[in-house]
Amino acid sequence: MEQQFLFEVKDLAVKYPNGELALYNVNFDIESPTFMAIVGPNGSGKSTLLKTALGLIKPVRGQVKILGYDSARESKKIRKLVRYVPQRDRIGLSVPLKVKDIVLMSRLLKKPPPRFASSKDKEIARESLKRVNMADLWDQPFPELSGGQRQRVLVARALAGDGPILMLDEPLAGTDHESQDMIVEALGDYRNEHEVSIIMVTHDLNPIHTLVQDVLLLKNTVVGVGTPCDMMDMELLEKVYGPTARVIEYAGHRYCVTHDSGVDRHH
Amino acid sequence: MQGIDTVLHTTQELIAIIDLIIQALSVPFVQRALIGALLIAIVASTSGTFLVFRGLSFMTSGVAHAALGGAALGLFLQHSGLVPWFDPILGALLFSVFVALVTGYAGETGMTQKMEVAVGVSFALSMSIAVFLMYYIPPTQVPQIWGYLIGDILLLNNFDIVLLAVTAIVLVLITLIFNKEFIYVSVDMEGSIAHGMNARAYHYLMLITSALAIALATKAVGAILVYAIMVAPAAAASELIKSIRGIFIAVFVIALLSELMGLVASFTISASPSAIAGILAALTYVVAMQIKRLRNRVSIDLDQLPQHDEEANHVLLDTLDTSAHEGHDH
Repeated sequence: MEQQFLFEVKDLAVKYPNGELALYNVNFDIESPTFMAIVGPNGSGKSTLLKTALGLIKPVRGQVKILGYDSARESKKIRKLVRYVPQRDRIGLSVPLKVKDIVLMSRLLKKPPPRFASSKDKEIARESLKRVNMADLWDQPFPELSGGQRQRVLVARALAGDGPILMLDEPLAGTDHESQDMIVEALGDYRNEHEVSIIMVTHDLNPIHTLVQDVLLLKNTVVGVGTPCDMMDMELLEKVYGPTARVIEYAGHRYCVTHDSGVDRHH
Repeated sequence: MQGIDTVLHTTQELIAIIDLIIQALSVPFVQRALIGALLIAIVASTSGTFLVFRGLSFMTSGVAHAALGGAALGLFLQHSGLVPWFDPILGALLFSVFVALVTGYAGETGMTQKMEVAVGVSFALSMSIAVFLMYYIPPTQVPQIWGYLIGDILLLNNFDIVLLAVTAIVLVLITLIFNKEFIYVSVDMEGSIAHGMNARAYHYLMLITSALAIALATKAVGAILVYAIMVAPAAAASELIKSIRGIFIAVFVIALLSELMGLVASFTISASPSAIAGILAALTYVVAMQIKRLRNRVSIDLDQLPQHDEEANHVLLDTLDTSAHEGHDH
């Protein structure tokens, strides 16, 4: 069987809406299936790369292919494969949707109107909420949950969907430790049980570095691609995070310490 | 004896009032006003609720004023002989769709602030066009333009009722079919597109149907009532009610009651029913905000009470203890 590529990126350049270059000279390939982390500080173009892959932003040069489909011309096909969770603060809170409504979104969005939820849809949604320990809040209004709880519901939304690619934009930002552990564990378990690829944008690799297979270190262009251990390298991290970055070895694992880790700021 | 007299007297008065109401109900213009009130309440609970969900309550006044500019254009084209068949209502609908398109274009990425700005700009543009064109319209026709703003629910004719009824039915149908899409667009535009929904199309569908509904409702009952009834009940309901269906129902009830009380009041004291309905609807919003604030205060108090942690108490006592000792030492 021919090897499938999750990402094939060639000579990619993308601009922010304000005209600044978000990404330039980006080249890399990543094989499918994988658990991949896109790591870099704020404003390094991580979210932009995801949005470009989904066809939400058009590149000014080059191309991105997702499982062989070109993001600019075949975004419809890509969107059928993907379950996407945007940054938490992109979710509007003015509508009192229930937790179940949010989780069911990923299933109902792929149906034609009127998008009724079948009992199977509901069962899968419930199962997904159990994975992040939120099943009890099934009927609660989503806008009234805490930040960490909302993030867990959004991860459950991705788990409840269909499609071989999960894309999560900063799912650990601004969450409490309990939620963070639960999300990481749920994603790891899900990946072991299902034939899916997970792509996670994060400014902090530490919570997930034992799960991740491929790491893309990004600072508006590719600084490094490889395994987490390869990327936990002083020289590379200094390039991305500046001279204050440190790598610490503890209990057989490497951890990197940056101004960004543990800080909740994100765009 | 005197007591019985008073009772008799009040009963007679009551009967007289009921008689008056029954008489009033048989008068055609009152009947039309009641049907109009019911239809406007339906428009508010569909379009108005979605606009408040989308953070676009300001669009109501923007569209109503744009309709004014469109009506002016219609009159100008008619009277200048350029396009004699061009009815002012066509101009009003055209301009309201224009506002919806400009707003929609600004909000394609899902940013509400940008849409507010777009509403403001297209509002100003339409009003400028209206004032500009008024100069070229025969002075006798100018009041007809202002009539778009100051319509009256007591002056509805049969054509207005038909127009409103069609608007309400279309809105209810669209809401029944596409309510999930409209909500998804309001909650997570980016995620909806990424999952393959044609969010952009629903985004425009929602804005354009709302704009047409606002323009038609404005033509029928006047802008004052439309502002008040489209925004305040939906804002009040979404402050307090935590289910979407509940909000739709509450908006309908608040809107209908405000309008009915406005109509009843206009018979007893001579005042515009729209103005009274508007004041009542706005009051429900103020009351809703106060209730929410009280409710929050109570729930915070309750949350804090049981959280007196044993361990924290010990630590607190320890610190107090040591500081007391330190105090002795000095």
